[in-house]
Amino acid sequence: MSAERDDGLSWQRPSPKLLRCRRIQIVLVAAPVALITGLACASVSAVAGALSAVGVLIAGLVAERFLARRVAAWGFAERNEDLMVRRGVMIRRLSVIPYGRMQYIDITAGPLERSLGLATLRMHTAAAASDARIPGLDQAVAAKLRDQLAALGEAQAAGL
Amino acid sequence: MTDPLPADPPRLPLAEGVPAGWHRLHPLTPVVRAGSRLFALVVVLAGIALANQRQDGSEIVTDLVIIALALSGGFVSWLVTRWQVADGVLRIDTGLIRRDSRRFPLSQIQAIDVAQSGLARILGLAELQLRIAGGDASRGGRLAWLRMADAERLRTELLAYSTVARAVQAVPAGGGGPADALPVPAAPDPTAAASGTGATPADATAAPERQLFRVRSGLLAVAIALSRPGAIAFAVVAAVTAFVAVSGKTAATATFLPAAIGIAATVWRWFNGEYGTTVTAAPDGLRLRSGLIQTTAETIRPGRVQAIRLVEPLAWRPFGWCRLEVDVAGPRIRRESRAETGRLRALIPVGSKAEVVQILAAVLTSQPAPDKPPPRRVRFKAPLQYHFLAFGSDDNYVVTAHGRVTRTTTWIPLEKVQSVRWVQGPVQRCLGLSSVRLDVAGRRVTGAIEDRVDAEARDLLMRLPDLARAARARVG
Repeated sequence: MSAERDDGLSWQRPSPKLLRCRRIQIVLVAAPVALITGLACASVSAVAGALSAVGVLIAGLVAERFLARRVAAWGFAERNEDLMVRRGVMIRRLSVIPYGRMQYIDITAGPLERSLGLATLRMHTAAAASDARIPGLDQAVAAKLRDQLAALGEAQAAGL
Repeated sequence: MTDPLPADPPRLPLAEGVPAGWHRLHPLTPVVRAGSRLFALVVVLAGIALANQRQDGSEIVTDLVIIALALSGGFVSWLVTRWQVADGVLRIDTGLIRRDSRRFPLSQIQAIDVAQSGLARILGLAELQLRIAGGDASRGGRLAWLRMADAERLRTELLAYSTVARAVQAVPAGGGGPADALPVPAAPDPTAAASGTGATPADATAAPERQLFRVRSGLLAVAIALSRPGAIAFAVVAAVTAFVAVSGKTAATATFLPAAIGIAATVWRWFNGEYGTTVTAAPDGLRLRSGLIQTTAETIRPGRVQAIRLVEPLAWRPFGWCRLEVDVAGPRIRRESRAETGRLRALIPVGSKAEVVQILAAVLTSQPAPDKPPPRRVRFKAPLQYHFLAFGSDDNYVVTAHGRVTRTTTWIPLEKVQSVRWVQGPVQRCLGLSSVRLDVAGRRVTGAIEDRVDAEARDLLMRLPDLARAARARVG
């Protein structure tokens, strides 16, 4: 990835469990959808039902390939005065958030994330547009990072 | 309704004028507050009554009961709302069932605006809108409604007090020395301080204000007619006229009525809000007054400006007209502001280039021009935008220009930048381009440096945070 050659930044990645989490999410979506479309189309004919269900499942598999790349694209690097977060495959993004600008940091975890021991870290600045989040961190890592960022933010806090 | 709370004896009253203890708002508050809503309610009920065409007594009684309920709600809310200034804190208590007590430390007040709606103006009332540092919409306060003279006086005094409170706070920070070296006693008495330095803010309000700009009403009307809502309004009117002329069915115009009302309201709100916009230079910033029926007055402190935007719509360009908008941190507590999220507070609703240059000089310390066009291959990616795309920068500002038919130029002060983003879409990747966006507080303005050569954009991404940090350090 081109971002990697940027001088001496050590990019950290989300936990490998994030991919498992995303795969489970795909299954949770694709399986019921396949079932429902299959049943709906089966009222026309059995073959149509089977075909459409298989179609949905194949779409799910394709989505899985994309997701694997998207998961791999996430990364963050702590620099002296700011945090860099990169994401995205089709549309690549790289955000720089100065520690002093972080207003608050929160950790969220949905039921699936919780069961895998993962959490999402969100950093909020006064600007609504600076959407900085890091998904799929191990809960312990997330908590440590949050405390670390909060301390850095306090030390370098700047007014609006 | 509420017993007077055992109010702690206000030890630190203001210098003069604001008596200690709890105050009610003006007794006509419920009428003003219900005013616009009541009017809408009456219109709706009348509409329903007309539509039903059943004018028996019971429905009118129901209507009256609804109106009475709406009014009594306001009355109860007035009864339970009280405010006081004590210990350097403005406290507003309200709520009958769920008590809501809000405290506004006077030292954090950034600006206080005096606003009037049409009805309030007839009754001689005004509301005070407090802008608190922090930029969160829920943190602003309103004191509505007070007698106009009281509001002006309270505003002056609160501002004076806030200046003093800030000065008292700033001394330990600025001094940095041991506590005994500080000129203020350990428990400074703001009363004494307020009376001691009271001359400064009083002078500030009394000092002659230099008028920088005043919008010409005729020009504003023409400019609105030539803008997008104006064009839509004309299109609707033309379509309806053509339809009636062709079909001969006048009744069919009723179908267009809601749309027509909506457009008329938009245009009217615009005209009403920006009629008579006056910018004057005052010692504490730029004073901005505007309004035909509702009037608002606000002070824009130089350090509060988050972004400046120059808008040049297609139809205005032949005449050399443009619009200068400013985005200021902190909430704008105006009820209609949600409907006009696309537009910011106008310093110049419509004016000539010369007037814009004059105001820009008053707001910006330096004015870099957007003089770096993107590479020619951007034509393939943004053919309609290419002719306007450009950016420029100096040590204090980044300026970007973009737009397809309306040219928008945005100045972002580097010390206000909240975060920097680099974005590259698939088409951009094919052409070796990428964009850099600068976010400032709020959700309305983003400085977008679009479609630069990839290497340049990456360089900007690495350099801009450092430049912003340097700018912040300079400002302090």
